[in-house]
Amino acid sequence: MNFNHIVIQNILRDKATYISYFLSSVFSIVIFFLFSTIAIHPMLAKLDPTSTLGVTMVLASFFIYIFSFVFIIYSLFAFLKKKSKTLGTFMMMGASMKQIRKMVFRENMIIAGVAILTAIVCGLIIAPLFLMAAKKILRAEIFGMYIPIQAILITFVLFSLLFLIVTKLMTRMIKKEEIAQLLKADITQEKLIKPAPFKLIASIIVSVFLLFSMIKEMNWVESFGIISYVALFIILLLAIYFTVTQGLLLAVRVWQKQPSYFRKTNMLFVSNLKAKERSHAHIIYLLTILLLGVFVCTSVLYSSYYNVEEKTESLYPYSFQYTSYPGNELQAQKDIAFIEETLDKTGHYEAYYSSFKSDDKRRIGFMSVTNFNQLGQHTPITLIDNEYFVAAGHEGVLPNKESIHDYPLGNLEYTGMEKSNILTSGLQNVYYIVPDKVYETIGYPDYKIFAYELDDWTNKVHVAQTISTKITIEPDIRLIASKIELYEAEKFVKSIMFFIGFMLSLIFMSAAMSILYFYIQTSLEQEREKFSGIRKVGFSIKELTSIVTKELATLIFIPFAVATLILFATLLGMHNHISLAFYQLTAIGLSLFLLLFIISFFFIRRGYLNKLLN
Amino acid sequence: MTDTILNVNQLQKEYSGEITYKALKGIDFKLKEKEFVAVMGPSGSGKTTFLNCISTIDRPSNGSIIINSHDPYNLNDDELAKFRRTELGFVFQDFNLVHTLTVEENILLPLTLDSISEKEMKRRLEETVDFLGIKELLKKRTFEISGGQKQRVAIARAVIHKPTLLLADEPTGNLDSKSVNSVMTLFESINKTFNTAILMVTHDAYVASFAQRVIFIQDGILYNEIHRGKNKQQFYQEIMDTLTFLGGGQHEF
Repeated sequence: MNFNHIVIQNILRDKATYISYFLSSVFSIVIFFLFSTIAIHPMLAKLDPTSTLGVTMVLASFFIYIFSFVFIIYSLFAFLKKKSKTLGTFMMMGASMKQIRKMVFRENMIIAGVAILTAIVCGLIIAPLFLMAAKKILRAEIFGMYIPIQAILITFVLFSLLFLIVTKLMTRMIKKEEIAQLLKADITQEKLIKPAPFKLIASIIVSVFLLFSMIKEMNWVESFGIISYVALFIILLLAIYFTVTQGLLLAVRVWQKQPSYFRKTNMLFVSNLKAKERSHAHIIYLLTILLLGVFVCTSVLYSSYYNVEEKTESLYPYSFQYTSYPGNELQAQKDIAFIEETLDKTGHYEAYYSSFKSDDKRRIGFMSVTNFNQLGQHTPITLIDNEYFVAAGHEGVLPNKESIHDYPLGNLEYTGMEKSNILTSGLQNVYYIVPDKVYETIGYPDYKIFAYELDDWTNKVHVAQTISTKITIEPDIRLIASKIELYEAEKFVKSIMFFIGFMLSLIFMSAAMSILYFYIQTSLEQEREKFSGIRKVGFSIKELTSIVTKELATLIFIPFAVATLILFATLLGMHNHISLAFYQLTAIGLSLFLLLFIISFFFIRRGYLNKLLN
Repeated sequence: MTDTILNVNQLQKEYSGEITYKALKGIDFKLKEKEFVAVMGPSGSGKTTFLNCISTIDRPSNGSIIINSHDPYNLNDDELAKFRRTELGFVFQDFNLVHTLTVEENILLPLTLDSISEKEMKRRLEETVDFLGIKELLKKRTFEISGGQKQRVAIARAVIHKPTLLLADEPTGNLDSKSVNSVMTLFESINKTFNTAILMVTHDAYVASFAQRVIFIQDGILYNEIHRGKNKQQFYQEIMDTLTFLGGGQHEF
């Protein structure tokens, strides 16, 4: 029996300890591998190396790599904690720290090697399915199956490096004193949470202040730029941390003073919370953060995916909008004839002809009432002689009501406003709608607008392509804008985001579950002993079950509740920027997650109880 | 016999695994009210199995156990738990205290399950801790007190609901000789003051000599029993002799 034999037997005979570490490693690697098969797809390189898709994929892979790094460090840490007693025994038998480090290092490298190989094999099996899904979701026909040699190599090298670094680092952190302490006393008092009301209040006030100033778009936020967002992120993490730890501390203290503390199983449940309040609070905090990640990734990204049609329409109101600059009349006639000829073949459509005059320098447009009413996407208006009406030129920007007074148009009075832009967003800053008579007196150049709205426009990409290949944009001569094309492009970007978001949330979710699993596993032995003890004192299985149920529910549903609360608070704070559909979708998404959680709760509970009572 | 508190009849216990092992091969035993009995025997003789069967932790394979005219094995899990915490008290070698609870909470643990008013809980707690002399320990955690103190706390928990039968499994196994003396004196006075019947497993002749009767189990059957006369010293000697005969006990040099 040599050293390596002990290392291997350690792993083989204590599978429960190693399996969750192994599985979570495999999972992170598989996800990374799949992402890199797409990110460095040969067809992608052929098409456009700097395309949004390619860049996003590489970024996502990078993010996943970083996350894997943190996650694997955490798993290793939990794993070492669980093993420290065994390590202590080895130490007592005379193994030096160097030998123990060597043992842990070798064990980990074996696991890492097997995990990487397993992950690559799994990845290769899943890859065709994954590519097919990517093809479908991303609507990118290019993702055929290929043999991802490059991805295999990258995954192998990067994760070997990662494990090597992490393991080296972690083995240095094994401390002799701590292990010896653990061996001396099985049960040690955990450090208690210190009451920190000031920190809690300060962190909450600062984060509320930062959030508020961001929502109100205060000046200083802009001047600090990205720093203020990073600051908000950090302070929010701190605020959540203090809320969770102090909240738990307070809850336990209040509960212990209640008369019901001595009723039924409350005492055992609460005292257990108190004894482990620090580690419980940390787990609840970690799960809360991961869940927030999951929620943000799925619901927010999916909701933006859902809103694409609406958003596109608000940017480009028309299926086609042909803008003809002054002096382009002859060409315009030919173009319009071509457009209408093409559209005639595809089905029913509405055509709107209009025009406006523009002060090019300030990009202020003037439009007659008649021309305004000829456009079909907004409610018609009537003006009397000395009135004017304002219409937006930019999506999401309120137009200036007063600039019209800089022009010698007589004494006109403001009557109302159309807040959504009436033509392609950004063409003009603002449109002033004036009575026809006043319009005739304006001497600025005249721009012609030919707008078309197709029935069932989302399904007419081919029409948009036909037209845009024939009629291209020529600055200062003609412009053509199509919401159909914009919609296609937006949808593509959004679906990539959704795809990545979905993957990330999968990772967050599995990280949350594996953290929970580790945590429960670590205390299993102690809990089992305790439970068999109190069973002899006269607790029935029913009562023990109720304690376990309460404890697991605390660990699983409090993070869920906190994360949900934060998500909805954020959404409510942003209610000006988001639509009702967003709330609905978020609610649906959350209910799905809740269902998932309830199901996994019962699974975990059953497994845990079985292990505890046998 | 109305004053019999425990009636064990042809008790058998088999452990079935790859090899079926008979731990108890048919034991008849009666324990009277207020009686203090010690169970002795060499390692592996079945004495702990015997106690576990009585304490409803192990289900016997055959035979019957009647405690206070109840058959605990006819009860379901809920009723059994209630039976344990009202009729029986337990003291273990490893104390079996819940480390997340304070000493006070550990003692109150059996009472929390039955709807007893806080006032009554306080009263019983005070009475018990006064008797055991552990009042100053109440607010401490279990890992802050010594072994002897732990066993006192465990005894307090076992007697706070005034059980009719106190079962002890090697209660002095983890204690130093000074603590052994005080814990055993405590058992004696509980037996006298509260009229609690005690059944105790031990392998220590000195500990057994505190009992009124000692029974010896060997190879799963009841081998012998001796009663205490007036003289404790003589009783101890008799126990030693029996043990020597059984092949355990005092070492010969």
